[in-house]
Amino acid sequence: MRAVLALAHKDLRLLFRDKGDVFFTFVFPMLLAVFFGFVFGGSGGASKIDLALVVESDSKIAAGMAADLAADASFEVKRFDTRDAAIDAVRAGKSTAAVILPSTMQDGVEGLFSGGGIPIDAVVDPARRAEAGLIQGKLNELAFRQFPKMFADTAQMKRMIARARKSFAQSSDLTPMQKLEAGALFSAIEAFSSSMNAKQPDAKSDAKPDARPDARPDARPAAEPAASSQSTWSPIAVNIAELPARAGQPRSSWDVTFPQGFVWGLAGCVVAFASSVVSERTRGTLARLRLAPITGLQLMAGKGLACFAAALLVESLLVGLAVVGFRSSIAQPVMLVVACGASAFAFSGLAMLLAGLCRTEAEAHGAGRGAILILALVGGGSIPLFFMPPLLRTLSFGSPFRWVVAAVEGPFWRDTPLADQVTPLVVLMAIGLFGFIVGIRGIGRPFGR
Amino acid sequence: MREFAYRLHLVAASRDARVSLRYQPFAAPMLTIRDIRKSFGQTTAVGGLSLDIAAGEVFGLLGPNGAGKSTTIAITTGLLAPDSGSVDILGLGSPADPRVRMHLGLAPQDITLYGELTARENLMFFARLYGIASPRARVDELLAQVELDTRANDRVATFSGGMKRRLNLAAAIVHDPQLVLLDEPTAGVDPQSRNRILELVRTLAAAGKTIVYTTHYMEEAAKLCDRVGIVDHGRMLDVGSVSELIARHGGQSTVTVTRGDADQRVLTSDPVAEIAHQFAAGGVTGVRVERPDLESVFLSLTGRSLRE
Ligand SMILES: Nc1ncnc2c1ncn2[C@@H]1O[C@H](COP(=O)(O)OP(=O)(O)OP(=O)(O)O)[C@@H](O)[C@H]1O
Ligand SMILES: [Mg+2]
Repeated sequence: MRAVLALAHKDLRLLFRDKGDVFFTFVFPMLLAVFFGFVFGGSGGASKIDLALVVESDSKIAAGMAADLAADASFEVKRFDTRDAAIDAVRAGKSTAAVILPSTMQDGVEGLFSGGGIPIDAVVDPARRAEAGLIQGKLNELAFRQFPKMFADTAQMKRMIARARKSFAQSSDLTPMQKLEAGALFSAIEAFSSSMNAKQPDAKSDAKPDARPDARPDARPAAEPAASSQSTWSPIAVNIAELPARAGQPRSSWDVTFPQGFVWGLAGCVVAFASSVVSERTRGTLARLRLAPITGLQLMAGKGLACFAAALLVESLLVGLAVVGFRSSIAQPVMLVVACGASAFAFSGLAMLLAGLCRTEAEAHGAGRGAILILALVGGGSIPLFFMPPLLRTLSFGSPFRWVVAAVEGPFWRDTPLADQVTPLVVLMAIGLFGFIVGIRGIGRPFGR
Repeated sequence: MREFAYRLHLVAASRDARVSLRYQPFAAPMLTIRDIRKSFGQTTAVGGLSLDIAAGEVFGLLGPNGAGKSTTIAITTGLLAPDSGSVDILGLGSPADPRVRMHLGLAPQDITLYGELTARENLMFFARLYGIASPRARVDELLAQVELDTRANDRVATFSGGMKRRLNLAAAIVHDPQLVLLDEPTAGVDPQSRNRILELVRTLAAAGKTIVYTTHYMEEAAKLCDRVGIVDHGRMLDVGSVSELIARHGGQSTVTVTRGDADQRVLTSDPVAEIAHQFAAGGVTGVRVERPDLESVFLSLTGRSLRE
């Protein structure tokens, strides 16, 4: 065992000394996963975000926001009559998010000085979670832009201050002196608002009766709020909710591209380790290894262990990046670990197989890399399996990479029932065993016959 | 032909005496090779070669390019299976057995080290592979022995040819084997590294190790080896101590006697008697002896020069 560990340690050290191998094994897969994630996600600020807008409120602030949203360069706005129609558009993938300016908006405006907030609802496609933050920020910004107009509306301002005066008067936390000071402050604001109105002759004072309390309780977003800005008081309360993920469909482009990263990371491992075995042979160091009092099996175990460790490392890096960098959640963490182990094992075996088949470093780097590349492509390394034409999808069953994608997707985002995860795991283990057995024969039993 | 001063010949003779004291033909055999044969396609690399090497012996395999030296070494270590014949080490059996291999160390003709690892990392790896009890101490000791301690933490790829050779040798003996096989350990190195390597071989011999040393430098074989085997075309042409071989195949010595301006060359099989005879005749102002060497042995055995 000590010899096996010494071998694995040496091989990992050699791997990390080779900048090309480090790049192709660790950096390249992550770059690809992130790059294609952005390509498929279609965000990145380059293209506009499709918004399904519903204006339920007939308040001025709602009208102002609707106009500003339509004018904003980041958004492509489509108006819908009902909340449900807008959410359906998101569900169908036609819009990134539904933004609802609810009928309670006017009420929020008037309660602004007495601890209320102006509510705005949004429902986001879970696949476009990355854009949720941008949408929320924009909605806040546009709502704030309505404030000067709001303050210039004397009648509305009067109602806001009347409410505030009332809530201050009822407050038990304030001393009479503080209440007096607050009263003076409100009077000053009223005076300021009137003078602003006097300077703006175009600002009509179309005072309306009180907002109708017609908030529909069922008008809430369909899902639980995922993120809400109401933790600290803010005059704008953007209530962002996420649609529940659709079964069998990736939650985000990262769900697709990170398993693809696995494909490229494992491909890098296979090529690096196959050529490391081959270069031991061509450089003659294999002779020293064979002279050492270790068996051929131990020799392969050491090599395989190093490859396995490198594969696990790149898989962990990818999962870590997906979770930390792109807020992907893992449906079944334990099963994902199992899938990572099985695919690392399968590809350690494949590395040995390739090492046994290739006689020279040129073969390992040329033919070997070529074969792995084709298998990776067919197995869903660049075109996701569900985008493939039927013929290619059938062919993909012959690629070990396809089984990696299948094994990883299940626990990562598909949340596949355990029974359905068995097949890819068994196939991967079989591939690994086959690779080790044939590889050891190919590399040649070191001694005698 | 190489020239040796008369005094040097006496030194060589006494060295032979010391050597024959150390070499005991009845000592336990370290390595027994029986009629090994190996062909690669049409090429017969080794064509029926037998050899007995005693424990503690320094044995030289001397032969030109393609003679079959490396193939013999590879079969001896078990790296190559012979077509026929057998190898036995220490009476324990064939090197196919890992326990038997534990007793042998090989410095291959090609440098077989990891260029991207440092000298220390290379030796540490081999030490761990052999399960050395305290690898760090052993590696430090070896690095000092091959005078690479100051470059221990540099990558081997940055080493000179001579430094790589020295490390290649150190890697062969990391587990302190009884039988050390050195395949052309001085090929392509500078004189300084060569001397360091020869010194190390002497140190190993003094520590009682058995050494098989292949070379086509006959000076090295003459300096280091208790016995030399002359190989060509995969066959052992003759085996013996250097003086035995010279006596058998070297032919006569040339004694050149100078009297004033005149040189007189005399062929003789007993240069000492000849010189004594010449001095007795009187008037001698100078004397030079050209003794036959391994080169002449090789020439007479194969009809060609060792290094063409
Ligand atoms: N793996 C092989 N395949 C084919 N021919 C081989 C192989 N190994 C050795 N030979 C041939 O066997 C013969 C003996 O080779 P070997 O390497 O044993 O010679 P050598 O005495 O070590 O020569 P050198 O002094 O050049 O190292 C040569 O003709 C060589 O070409
Ligand atoms: Mg050779």
